[in-house]
Amino acid sequence: MEKKFKITICSGTTCYVLGGAHLMMLEDVLPDDLKEKVEIIGSTCLQACHGENARAPFVRINDYLMENASIPKIVEYLRTH
Amino acid sequence: MSFPSNISDCCVEVDFHQKNCGKQRTGGDVFLSRKLKAQQRVISVLSDGLGSGIKAGVLATLTAVMGINYMSSFRDPAKAARSIMDTLPVCSQRHISYSTFSMVDVDFENDVRIVEYDNPPVMVARENEIINLQRQQIEVARTGKEPAPILLADFHALPGDRIIMISDGVSQSGIGSNSMPFGWGADKAGEYVKTLIVKDPKISAHDLATAIVEKAWLNNGGKALDDITCGVIYFRQPRKLLIMTGPPYDQRKDVMLAELAKNFPGKKIICGGTTANIVSRETGQPVHVLFERIDPDLPPGAAMEGVDLITEGILTVGRVAKYLEDKRDPDNLPQNPATKILRLMLNSDIIDFVVGTRVNEFHQDPNMPVELEIRRNVIKKIAALLEDQQLKETSIQYI
Repeated sequence: MEKKFKITICSGTTCYVLGGAHLMMLEDVLPDDLKEKVEIIGSTCLQACHGENARAPFVRINDYLMENASIPKIVEYLRTH
Repeated sequence: MSFPSNISDCCVEVDFHQKNCGKQRTGGDVFLSRKLKAQQRVISVLSDGLGSGIKAGVLATLTAVMGINYMSSFRDPAKAARSIMDTLPVCSQRHISYSTFSMVDVDFENDVRIVEYDNPPVMVARENEIINLQRQQIEVARTGKEPAPILLADFHALPGDRIIMISDGVSQSGIGSNSMPFGWGADKAGEYVKTLIVKDPKISAHDLATAIVEKAWLNNGGKALDDITCGVIYFRQPRKLLIMTGPPYDQRKDVMLAELAKNFPGKKIICGGTTANIVSRETGQPVHVLFERIDPDLPPGAAMEGVDLITEGILTVGRVAKYLEDKRDPDNLPQNPATKILRLMLNSDIIDFVVGTRVNEFHQDPNMPVELEIRRNVIKKIAALLEDQQLKETSIQYI
């Protein structure tokens, strides 16, 4: 079955040291009702950190690029979309 | 792209395995090996001291160390043998001084010289056969004793050859048993070497030496009735490793990086997310991040067809440098991407680094919670550690 959300977590150096390390645990901490709706994959680098005011860590949810990503922020996004 | 390397097509791998007699904590056999880097020579000595335990260990150690030193300075083997025999201390019980030895000297053209005294014959395995060495016997005069017969042999080693040195703990194993009343014998041990090589034509020096010692031990019914030692010298193709890290300074070189990843004859590692993405884009192979959470301090590794290992860049190589500096054993480390790199490095003979010099300005941001070193410096440090501590050949190319 096609999942509703495809979440790509950046594991590049910048994202990783700026909080991305915690995001690697996303699958374990997601509430059960959301777990069924998401597919989680990693990326070696989303190449999103090169902009002038870019704020790592980055996560991509379908076509939406979330900056300064955190687990609560991701959960909130999933709940409201 | 070619890499500078002063090693010939063949490299020399030396390893040994040993079991001490009975419950002795010290071996009465000694296997020593020394690499003379400037002359590209490798000298190995297997010595068996009279008796077992400490006393035998002292005799064998003296013999092996003297043997290596004499051989290193190209001394006449007869003179070397005589000096060794005259120097050894006399056993208070048996009133003789005695330690047998086999010495093997391999030079930079793979010409081999063998000097033997009273040890089981050194074997040379070539293409599943034990070849017959022409030996010359010389008599070495000793002070106040009968002359001692020393055997000399020379041959040119070919790629794939193995030299096997055993102590009499191997050849005499099983002695007194129904199946081998006079012991296993050097010939039978040679037959066993052949079956091991046929079964695994690329068996390493370490594994071959271990298998022979284990078999001798089993011949005794799982006991070491004497010190059992086997040393193996293996002439094999060098194992090459390529480590690509960092995006090229000039983007036009991205294609070259991808070509290298495709065509390099050996194992390949990419350290760095951007570098992996470049190779993926140019070769059309997707990268899959592996969600392993074994080490919370290091980002996970990734996989791509045609590449043996993909890791994050600077944090991971920094950790590799730390492991090398601390001389860590990969078996006693968390199995994170840095440990995987370390293991591949230690299993290789020639390690080529291709370092992209484009700086990720983001890493120099003062807001970063950790200080990130410049990639070039870390790689330089790793290469120096591999050369000095692990005797590897390395090269660094900046692109």
